[in-house]
Amino acid sequence: EDEERISSADVAVVEARRRLLNEFYAWRAAQEEELDEERAVLGLPEDPVAELLEKTKPAEAAADGGAKE
Amino acid sequence: MRPILLAGHERALTQIRYNREGDLIFSVSKDQIICVWFSHNGERLGTYRGHQGAIWTIDVDPTSTILASGSADNTIRLWDVKTGKCLKTWDFPTAVKRVEFNEDGTKLLGVTEKRMGHMGTIVVLDIKVDVEAEQSDEKALTIVCEESKATVAGWSYLSKYIIAGHEDGSVSQYDGKTGDLIFNIPIHELNQQITDLQWSQDRTYFITASKDKTAKLITAKDLEVLKTYVADTPLNSAAITPKKDFVILGGGQAAMDVTTTSARQGKFEARFYHKIFEDEIGRVRGHFGPLNTVAADPTGKGYASGGEDGYVRVHHFDKGYFDFVYEVERERQNRLAAGNA
Repeated sequence: EDEERISSADVAVVEARRRLLNEFYAWRAAQEEELDEERAVLGLPEDPVAELLEKTKPAEAAADGGAKE
Repeated sequence: MRPILLAGHERALTQIRYNREGDLIFSVSKDQIICVWFSHNGERLGTYRGHQGAIWTIDVDPTSTILASGSADNTIRLWDVKTGKCLKTWDFPTAVKRVEFNEDGTKLLGVTEKRMGHMGTIVVLDIKVDVEAEQSDEKALTIVCEESKATVAGWSYLSKYIIAGHEDGSVSQYDGKTGDLIFNIPIHELNQQITDLQWSQDRTYFITASKDKTAKLITAKDLEVLKTYVADTPLNSAAITPKKDFVILGGGQAAMDVTTTSARQGKFEARFYHKIFEDEIGRVRGHFGPLNTVAADPTGKGYASGGEDGYVRVHHFDKGYFDFVYEVERERQNRLAAGNA
């Protein structure tokens, strides 16, 4: 009987975790979709930094000094 | 987890930041010097010298081109990451406690200290991510914190909001363009100051750390508290780990602040919690004083902590860290794998 009680407590804990995990990932998925839509409406690139990195690349190759110690 | 000890600062660490690629670590300290280190081996690449007071805060733009720092010498300075040259200095009436670039590096916010005759403010500067460019002297925006001074602040996704954490434990959401206050919500215990605010990768949610011994996961859009992590010591810093659903908390009471009834002296550990389940998972020892700052490598490979003891400790996660999953997480992974097959 004790064992049963313990295992039903375990099941409850696992169930609660499953619910929390699903809730969080459902929220994330909705959030990501909303963010993509907002970016599209504003005419912004999907990755705000990819384009910037392209722009700074040539400059980086030229100045490969390193901060002075 | 093999830690690397970075001994280069002579006084307490105040903030640590990784660059976007995760290969560089920038650290600032009360010793008035900014250091940059290679994260993989802890080799010091260089220093940035010029501040005349304790440096409270540091940030690097997403392309790792320019660095911004804020100091007790009442300035924000902009630096060329590669050469160590100071590109620009902005003067303020009081110390600068926090700086942060927005997601594309075109705006920088600064949190200024409150002092007799001066309200605490959040200023916004327009930035050109170009070491050759002339930077504007003018502030694009000044938000005055009339209720309670801001202690930390940051930019949300799309630079839509400026989110601030305050001395009174509340969190504010301001319009990122106009600076108008949208709402201010009591989040942490009243008058227990918010000591840190760090973002998720897409900046749709963030974590706050507070002297009230808790850290909270909060949405940028509604300031809804998603999760609360309860610690047994005042917290100075909190970070969200990419790749794994964990958060890292740092804090601890300095010996001088420990009363005889509190027996927590000497426990200076980074604490790992599960981001979604809120359980504490483990602790990492090492520092000889409170942890003032923790930072997560954006590539998910490790984390760094900076202590009151003057050390930066860099940890690279090992296999056990990546393998650790709850049964329900494994279930989910298996389900996703089956779905993709």
